Amino acid sequence: MYTSFNRSKWTPYLWLLPSIALIAIFVIYPIILVFKLSFSEISKSGVVGKFNGFQNYIDAVNLPAFKTVMLNTLIWVIAVVGLSTVIGFIIAMVLNQKFHGRKIARSILVLPWATSLVIQASVWNYIIKYEYGNLNDILLNLGVIKQAVNWRSSFQIEFIWECGVGIFVTIPFVTFCVLAGLQSVDDSLYEAAIMDGAGFWSKLKNVTLPMVRPSLTVSTVLNIIYVFNSFPIIYTMTKGAPANKTDTMITFLYMLSFYDRKKGPATALSVIGFLILCICAGIYMFGVMRKEEK
Amino acid sequence: MEREIKKQNRLAAGLLLLGLVLALVVMSLPMYSFQAVVYTKKSSNTTVGDEKYQEALAQAQEVLEEYTSQGFQVELSEDVLERTNSKGETTSLVTFTISETQTKNLFSFLGQPFASAHVLRIMLACMILAALCMLAGLAKTSGTLPKYLPKRAKMLRSASGWFSLIALLTVPVFAMMNTYTFSRRIYLYSNDLMQEGKDVLYPQIDRFLFGGSAGDNIDSVLGKLSFDCSWMLWLLMILFFLMLLGAIQIRFGTVKSTLLRGLLYFFIIIVCIVTLYPYYVMLITALRSNAETLDMYFLHIFPSEWKFQNLIDIINRGVPRYLLNSLMVAGGATILAMLCGIPAAYAMARMNFAGKKLFLGFIIMSQMFSPVVLLIGLSQLMTTMHLNDSVLGLMLINAAFNQAFAIWLLRGTFVSISPEMEQAAMIDGCSTMGSMTRVLLPMAAPGIVTALIFVFINAWNEYTISTVLISTSSNRPITVGITQFSSFNMIEWEYLFAASLIATIPVVILFICIEKHLTSGLTSGGVKG
Repeated sequence: MYTSFNRSKWTPYLWLLPSIALIAIFVIYPIILVFKLSFSEISKSGVVGKFNGFQNYIDAVNLPAFKTVMLNTLIWVIAVVGLSTVIGFIIAMVLNQKFHGRKIARSILVLPWATSLVIQASVWNYIIKYEYGNLNDILLNLGVIKQAVNWRSSFQIEFIWECGVGIFVTIPFVTFCVLAGLQSVDDSLYEAAIMDGAGFWSKLKNVTLPMVRPSLTVSTVLNIIYVFNSFPIIYTMTKGAPANKTDTMITFLYMLSFYDRKKGPATALSVIGFLILCICAGIYMFGVMRKEEK
Repeated sequence: MEREIKKQNRLAAGLLLLGLVLALVVMSLPMYSFQAVVYTKKSSNTTVGDEKYQEALAQAQEVLEEYTSQGFQVELSEDVLERTNSKGETTSLVTFTISETQTKNLFSFLGQPFASAHVLRIMLACMILAALCMLAGLAKTSGTLPKYLPKRAKMLRSASGWFSLIALLTVPVFAMMNTYTFSRRIYLYSNDLMQEGKDVLYPQIDRFLFGGSAGDNIDSVLGKLSFDCSWMLWLLMILFFLMLLGAIQIRFGTVKSTLLRGLLYFFIIIVCIVTLYPYYVMLITALRSNAETLDMYFLHIFPSEWKFQNLIDIINRGVPRYLLNSLMVAGGATILAMLCGIPAAYAMARMNFAGKKLFLGFIIMSQMFSPVVLLIGLSQLMTTMHLNDSVLGLMLINAAFNQAFAIWLLRGTFVSISPEMEQAAMIDGCSTMGSMTRVLLPMAAPGIVTALIFVFINAWNEYTISTVLISTSSNRPITVGITQFSSFNMIEWEYLFAASLIATIPVVILFICIEKHLTSGLTSGGVKG
């Protein structure tokens, strides 16, 4: 019987409804679709056929580039997240000091975060061109090098550049998360530490790190997810060339489904990526929830 | 006490003067060596040691003696290139080269009209001024602590430090300018890559290196000029640093804290330069001519001609349309995300209900998935909804993918505002809706603006979904639109960056405005309360 419709009981859900609907249609439903597709036969023109078990997954794992791509993804995530966390942390520590022009420095350092990744990647792509790139030009004119250097002589080096650009654009996020954490640290804690005769390292270890750990955790986990999902840098700079040697999973599955028209293995890879993200998300949620309970 | 200060001050002043004297000594030592080829003799179809070889060698040695007798530092070297001719005989091409090496100290640059000579003059002036200021400031006040100093003495001591700093900085500038003059510009001139200014620079170098004796021969001589700068130049820098330390010690008392301060500024400046570098490249490339963007040799720090025409040209290449699309996508997505997000955030912040945690988990999960993994599903969905290749589709997807952040930020803001005011409004007869729109929302305005701008920027910068879903050119947002300037075989860098510049400036300004609210919101917003 719906006559006993309890207004106060249902109101919260009504308020949530638009948001839930939006997420359900455009996030949850595509996830289900991808799952469904990954177990179906898909022709080159995209016509969905019947259920074919794990065939797509087997095809995906047997792709010749699969191993390289997975290894690249691992290197990409670890290098970019690791280094940007370390560098971002150092920059945040410095920005937390009082000095002239701190506001200007903050405004400058936040720039890469606000800029579209495609644009960033295009600019770096131009900078490191061998024949006319700006880096060679500047270094030659400054007399640092005597001859133009080929900054992208091999795919390994190109991949390192891509990681570098990834680090460059990720640093601001870490910096500003850590900075927010640092600014909530009470100065009296440091004063107490100094009274106890703590040096720089001991202050860092015993006061700073425990205080910024929550924001560092948030930024690291979010970064793992963003960096794993990052597409424009690699797509703009090398498109995975040569022969998928600089691809990460995301660019690889994009090329696979929209260029090579191998939708079946691509959906299987999507699901694999999805599951990896789920694990990260699970760890993250575990952390958040535990904090919530405190 | 006073004696101790005096002693310390004298020590520091001694350091400064020692640095000065040693610097002057170092400057008079030979520091730059130039090697120029003054004579070559080639002898072909010979073998090493035969008659023809001996003849050429004798000729070369004759020239060598001539140079030596005039007091030049010359040396003879031979280069043998073996080759086999069509008959199968191996013969050699022997090249005898006489090269002249000259060493110059820094003072020999002084009278020259090179740009580096001006720097050298500044360097010398600063050194001497630093010493004079120091001595003048120290007179009669050498026993006073820095903080009790009379104003004039304080200024003089500071000035001494600043002059030393300038002297320090002139060293790399001087080195750079010499490198530029003697390697880069000569290279550009002698390879006919640059014409302007050759008739000025060549006589200058002729006079400087050969006393004008090279004459018309200068072109071939300079073509093979190589030069080397001794490590002593960097020793000079260390000596200036010594002067600086002395000055700092006298002015502030503690060197350590001042050094740390300097290191901090140094670090910040370096980081800022690296961060700004791509933006600088974007700016100058956007305002260059196409020929200049593709040629390394003519480029300098700034374009030779500022081409604002590029910004006008891209108007005819569809950029206004792309910007409008981006504005529609980002604006629509922001409004939609806010309309759905504010009630949800409100419910999360103010109401208690079963499944609250589940919903929090739900939105956090949705934040985890960038659209890339779901691209195939999304494009399928868009096809069934007939939203493929449309601005509306992008709008909806962007709104959905930004829900998590919007709720996340908004909830944090709402939680941080005490509910008492709203309760008061409700007692006065306001509905829940009324208390929210009249009391809470105005108070939460800064947080809402932050979330709004953040969603807008995210949607504006989005690239991946658009590149897959949009195939009609007139429906592209700007991030996809700019890629039309970089086709496979020809990249119009100046247009690419001109469009990028226009796409970047507004969002960067918006971002800087919300930066402070955003970071605290992101790290704590979701978990407050």
